[in-house]
Amino acid sequence: MLRASLPLFAALGAVGAGMVALRSVDFSRTWDPPPAPTLARPAPDWRNASWLNTDHTLTLRELRGRVVLLNFWVFTCYNCTNTVPSLVDFDRQYRDRGLTLIGIHTPEFPPYAGEHDRANVQRALEQYRIRYPNAQDNDRRTWDLYGIRFWPSFVLIDKRGNIRYEGAGEFHLNDRNYRLWQHRIEELLAE
Amino acid sequence: MRYWILSALAVGLVGSGCHPGTEPPPLLRVVSEHSAGITTLALIAAPGIRINARVKPALELPDGAVLRFDSPHQTPDSAYFTRPPTSSLSGEWRRAEGTLRASVCEADELVCRSVVLQL
Repeated sequence: MLRASLPLFAALGAVGAGMVALRSVDFSRTWDPPPAPTLARPAPDWRNASWLNTDHTLTLRELRGRVVLLNFWVFTCYNCTNTVPSLVDFDRQYRDRGLTLIGIHTPEFPPYAGEHDRANVQRALEQYRIRYPNAQDNDRRTWDLYGIRFWPSFVLIDKRGNIRYEGAGEFHLNDRNYRLWQHRIEELLAE
Repeated sequence: MRYWILSALAVGLVGSGCHPGTEPPPLLRVVSEHSAGITTLALIAAPGIRINARVKPALELPDGAVLRFDSPHQTPDSAYFTRPPTSSLSGEWRRAEGTLRASVCEADELVCRSVVLQL
């Protein structure tokens, strides 16, 4: 009887182990950026017309030779504004070493919510002490161009204009994801 | 007998994970209440879902009018509603029609996402 039941116990054990494994990995809560793609792809060229914190329209072409970090955000997004201190810190640390940080301000609601208004975006830049350039992406063209789905999202572009890392989710000064992005920035700056 | 036990466990595992045939529960729903000629709409979030209070949820009515939902009950940082936000309409509405927009986060998620529902 015992011998006959062994396969059953083994099968139940395997299923149980599988259940434990499933419970210990919560995929829906994992917001770490995905690993670097094996083949980098060219970053699409944005065409936003309205810019803040810069005296001219920035183009990807003129940023060749610099590492570019795009941050898709909107000032009404709590997760986005919580991440701003980290981005301001990256800008302070790495701008002179070759990093250009660009905010792509993408409204979540139609214009009646005020997210499209340049003055409101300007006010948010001042409130959060953001000095790096920001583009207004009111028609979501750049958002769609990069296939973004969440606020905040990040795209890290290397000196040759290729997308090397992408990810989404709030992070804070010196937390695990801050250090991960910092590591990636330094890696691309060193190339 | 043993096959029956294994089959039951397997069904339980499939049921607990993502399955293409399973409709996810709605993140938001609207309930209405009528009193003294006023219809009050309340936006109810599914368990574990938080509604962004920094951009008030909106119901875009077919005539172009936009109703905003609000509530004084918010987290201390004014980021999320702690009680269902409401909006009022004059008259008795059997059901609200239009496009509902809200920005939501799951309680322990680190991103915001848009919800757009046709009512």
